[in-house]
Amino acid sequence: MLASTRRAERRSAFILIAPFLLIYLVLFIYPTLKMLELSFTNAPLIGEGDWIYFKNYVRLFGDRLFKTAVWNTGYFVVLTVVPNVATGLLIALMVDRLKGWTQSVVLAAFFLPYILPVSVVFLMWRWILDLQFGIAQYPIEFFYGERVPVFRTIPWFLPMVGLITIWWTNGFNVLLFIAGLRNISPEIYDAAALDGASRWQLFWKITWPLIWPVTALVATIQLILQLKIFDQVYLFSVGGRSEPTMVLVQYIYQEAFQRNRGGYAATVATALFVLIAALSVLQYQVLRARSAE
Amino acid sequence: MRRILKKALATAALIAFAAGAQAKETVVWWDFLSGGDGVRMKSLIDQFNKEHADSIEIQATTLEWGVPFYTKVQTSAAVGEGPDVMTYHLSRLPLGVATGTLREITPEELKAAGFSADNYAPANWKAAQVDGKQYAVPFDIHSVVLYYNKDKLAAAGLLGQDGLPKGLDGVDNFHAALEKLKAGGSEYGVSIHSAAGDSQWRIFYSLFSQQGGKFLSDNGKFLEGDNLDKAVKATSVVAKWVADGLAPKSTDYPASIALFTSGKAAMHINGVWEVPTFTDLGKQNKLGFEWGAIQLPTFFDQPATWADSHSFAIPNRKGKEISPEKLKAVLEVVKWMNEHSLFWATAGHIPAFSPVTSSDDFKKMQPNATYSTLAKTAVFDPSSKLAGVASPVYDAAGNFLMPAINGELDPQGAMEQMRDDLDGQTE
Repeated sequence: MLASTRRAERRSAFILIAPFLLIYLVLFIYPTLKMLELSFTNAPLIGEGDWIYFKNYVRLFGDRLFKTAVWNTGYFVVLTVVPNVATGLLIALMVDRLKGWTQSVVLAAFFLPYILPVSVVFLMWRWILDLQFGIAQYPIEFFYGERVPVFRTIPWFLPMVGLITIWWTNGFNVLLFIAGLRNISPEIYDAAALDGASRWQLFWKITWPLIWPVTALVATIQLILQLKIFDQVYLFSVGGRSEPTMVLVQYIYQEAFQRNRGGYAATVATALFVLIAALSVLQYQVLRARSAE
Repeated sequence: MRRILKKALATAALIAFAAGAQAKETVVWWDFLSGGDGVRMKSLIDQFNKEHADSIEIQATTLEWGVPFYTKVQTSAAVGEGPDVMTYHLSRLPLGVATGTLREITPEELKAAGFSADNYAPANWKAAQVDGKQYAVPFDIHSVVLYYNKDKLAAAGLLGQDGLPKGLDGVDNFHAALEKLKAGGSEYGVSIHSAAGDSQWRIFYSLFSQQGGKFLSDNGKFLEGDNLDKAVKATSVVAKWVADGLAPKSTDYPASIALFTSGKAAMHINGVWEVPTFTDLGKQNKLGFEWGAIQLPTFFDQPATWADSHSFAIPNRKGKEISPEKLKAVLEVVKWMNEHSLFWATAGHIPAFSPVTSSDDFKKMQPNATYSTLAKTAVFDPSSKLAGVASPVYDAAGNFLMPAINGELDPQGAMEQMRDDLDGQTE
């Protein structure tokens, strides 16, 4: 009797998760395994190749451009993840203090860039920073002494793309933080204020710990997103000196689509997969440890 | 009863309409022409559709020039998707054939459609072949030219009796002319698109070939022997313009044109495809000066100008090959376009179809007739899987040539790196 109910339960459970399982297997697990298989071959972009064992991986470790790409991807993560989370929280705190329609208008203003497609962002900023006619060249000339071809000057490239990325994507983080802030009961603030807590104390003792789950979420999303950076870096560097500012996904694209080396591109993709998995687990552990304190 | 009759009539009309639509062949067309030439291509397509209202309809889409276009074409052909006909650079043909993107057009098919090699320049027709097989039909030859501001050149005493620039041949003469123009109040002597490898490649390859250089030797080695020195020399010429403030540094494409149209630069080196831009601005009285265009001056021993060719090709759609009827329609389109390419010449390009270029109408067309002399000494990109639009050579031009022009790498080191980078990809 008991055994048969359990079997029935199991069966219905299986039926219920089957659609998800099927899609997950077909659209995620299968392509991932295929990628892994491809990384051991010398296949072109399309079609089969010969099995060459670990040759691609051996090559990966001696590949100068791969090292550049890993380094630049890491640099870009450092440039964007924490600043993006911090500005998101800062703007959310300010917007949260506004009331009524002013709040809606200001929030919309911050969110607006987020809905722009990357091509529009690229065209806008290319004109803003154009060496000859760009409006941003006036302040650059004033502070720096001369005009700078920002997207053709290696040390300026990634920081500027980072800045543009933060400007572009920050609105979504602000939205998440505002939702988090509204979840904190005002009574806690009232009670603390009665006890004579200062603004500073209110933030560090109440807001910061209570918003922490949202902060951890935003940081994780940002980390994964920025490790996969491609569009902006590709668009701003296309036609120019792409190698010194190459990031990992861009390198995969170049190897697969421009150089027709599907096997090696799969090897780089596998390396990126391992990197993202390892860093995400690490970050999750660190953030969990913090919240358990 | 009346209602039923009405319905029956409507159905009959619908069937008749559908049958009519079936007899009409649609040709899906992809191109990468988005500049002044794209506007002209659109009106050619409109004219074709009007003339063939009951037989063939072209459904055209314009995609992003360069890497985006060619990667999309390659991947869609491999999965049986993509257009029936597309524009293709002949410089990229070897790469396109090597990746299995292009369908051969057999001699029988060409003959049946009425194409004849006699109507094309032999080198041009041959450039549409790989290993003796035809993969494309040439449509034009396009190149880079020297645009000039007549008022500024006249003021600097650089304009001859015939209204054409004089005294620009030779590296030193050209440099002196630039200095004179700058001293005469121009911000730059010549404006170039210095922020990208593709534009710099065109100037570089012209100057390199003017020294008789061979970029890719027959044994598959890049910049072999003294070709490296010639490459360094070619790079140094342009790098010196930039270093001396005679040409703008790291400047983007639209800005390089705006420098010329706004009168800040006295001359401009760019593709013939910008001819319509200046023609249109001149017609609208927005230019404020008289302009002309000539073949690039001879800086070294012999005249030579980089050139490429737009052609029409048929993608090799795997598992969804083109039907014989569709192929017939496609070749009809291609033939019509070639026969009507006089209008295409207003986009600056030199038509590939020689009955058009030998016509009186073409010979009267300005400034095309002036610069079309370049076709005689035109040099095409090396025929290799690694060369052509959006190829590793173009990539290398962006990574090594472009920074050398702008003074971020020294020309010697840059050319050595470029050689090593390309040699490293030949395996």
